[in-house]
Amino acid sequence: MVLPMSSDPWIWIGAILTLMIFSFLYRDNPFYKFGEHLFVGVANGYYIVYYWHNALKPNLFEPLSAGQFVYIVPLLLGLMYFTRFIPRISWLVRIPIGFTIGWGAGLSIPALFQADVLRQLEGTVVTPTTFSDLASGIWAVIILVGVVCTLVYFFFSREQKGLLGSASRLGIIFIMIGFGASFGYTVMARVSLLIGRIQFLLGPWLGLID
Amino acid sequence: MKWYDRITMIDRRVIYLLLTAFVIIPFFIKVTIPQKIMPQTRRLFDFVESIPPNDKVVMISFDYSPQTQPECHPMAKALLKHCFARSIPVVGLSFEPEAPGLAVDALVSVVQEIDSLAAKKEDSLVYGIDYVYLGWKSGRIAAQLDMGEAISGVFPRDYFGNLIDSLPLMQTTKNYKNVAIVIILASADYPIDWIRYPQTRYGIKVGAGLTAVMAPQYYPFVQTGQVSGLMSGMKGAAEYEKLVLDHGYARTLGSAETGMNSQSMIHILIIIFIILGNVGYFFSRRQKGTQK
Repeated sequence: MVLPMSSDPWIWIGAILTLMIFSFLYRDNPFYKFGEHLFVGVANGYYIVYYWHNALKPNLFEPLSAGQFVYIVPLLLGLMYFTRFIPRISWLVRIPIGFTIGWGAGLSIPALFQADVLRQLEGTVVTPTTFSDLASGIWAVIILVGVVCTLVYFFFSREQKGLLGSASRLGIIFIMIGFGASFGYTVMARVSLLIGRIQFLLGPWLGLID
Repeated sequence: MKWYDRITMIDRRVIYLLLTAFVIIPFFIKVTIPQKIMPQTRRLFDFVESIPPNDKVVMISFDYSPQTQPECHPMAKALLKHCFARSIPVVGLSFEPEAPGLAVDALVSVVQEIDSLAAKKEDSLVYGIDYVYLGWKSGRIAAQLDMGEAISGVFPRDYFGNLIDSLPLMQTTKNYKNVAIVIILASADYPIDWIRYPQTRYGIKVGAGLTAVMAPQYYPFVQTGQVSGLMSGMKGAAEYEKLVLDHGYARTLGSAETGMNSQSMIHILIIIFIILGNVGYFFSRRQKGTQK
């Protein structure tokens, strides 16, 4: 029986490289190594070309060649990162790092405090309106207990015994449930990638499924 | 060797073989494992459902790479079908360098599918009127903040080189005031920047479609309402595909729904292996305890 296999050379290259990478599941071999090295090389080449054409050229060199000499400032700041390779003037690297940290901290601290701390605290606070619906009320109390007990677990200033110890042990249970959920989701994600590759091999390459 | 020692020493290659078989079987033997739609997926669907047609745009940030295509690409297609079926204009963009090719592929395939079903020419989707793809931009935090003032300042040209101001859709979409929600389809920690910066400063609504690895990190933001809805991994994509199909916005299910049968089978297999491993470990430990 003749299978309706793909005649597209790019599909064939993709399929062969997929099988080369999968061959590692049996054991390390030259085919896997070839696929791995090719991937690293292609990825690096892609990123270099992409950043040149879409970041450096339009955002720096084109404005400079058009006479916008103010762009010399970011160019110099960028070049200062490379002074790390020249020990005599390596101290210059502190200038762009300081600039980046200053800009980043100024921008991030208020935004992070608002989005990650205040809004999350707001979401943990239980108010009478939370109990307008019984189920949401119960969940809100569970969240509150979970947050408090988890924070207690990370409170190391006093010996964790008595009430503090009990709360801390309950905190561990919440942390473990969190880890379990994360692990379950990770398994799901990895399996999804396998399914995607199998769909590619069975569909576009072998033509066995739609 | 005792039976419990044997089950803790199954060759990993046997496990890989079984996993592969369990992925392949559901594609050939019709197995339908019912999927329950999670509330966070429904919330995202309901949000898009509540946007009036031909009013504000849905901004989709395509930020996934080819490695995570099986999870995020079906989300993109289902979301685009939903928006286009409800006459909601779409503006796409990317901050992930590997994403533009995938974004264009998702847009082209969905537009072609919808156009092939269009009864008359006016029902076809037109680039620049119904959808626009802005392309990739470096320095995403600055770009996200600047778009709150003027999108054309960040993207003077679209991905195809057209001047933004020449596109009818972008003449009415100036900044976040004209955006109903930004939905980030990502395989990395991109949505947090949208939550921290544009949402904090401009109050823009944020939705997300994330790989399963990323999803648990964002549940606290769904609970506080900072994220208006969330698709989690292939399951989230399959749920959205089902919602789109059930509401008559698509004629067929996408690849995520097909993949979910394999996903469920694999989960059953993994649970069996975890139980076997633990039973083996429990009995071998008890045996060692008795010997002491």
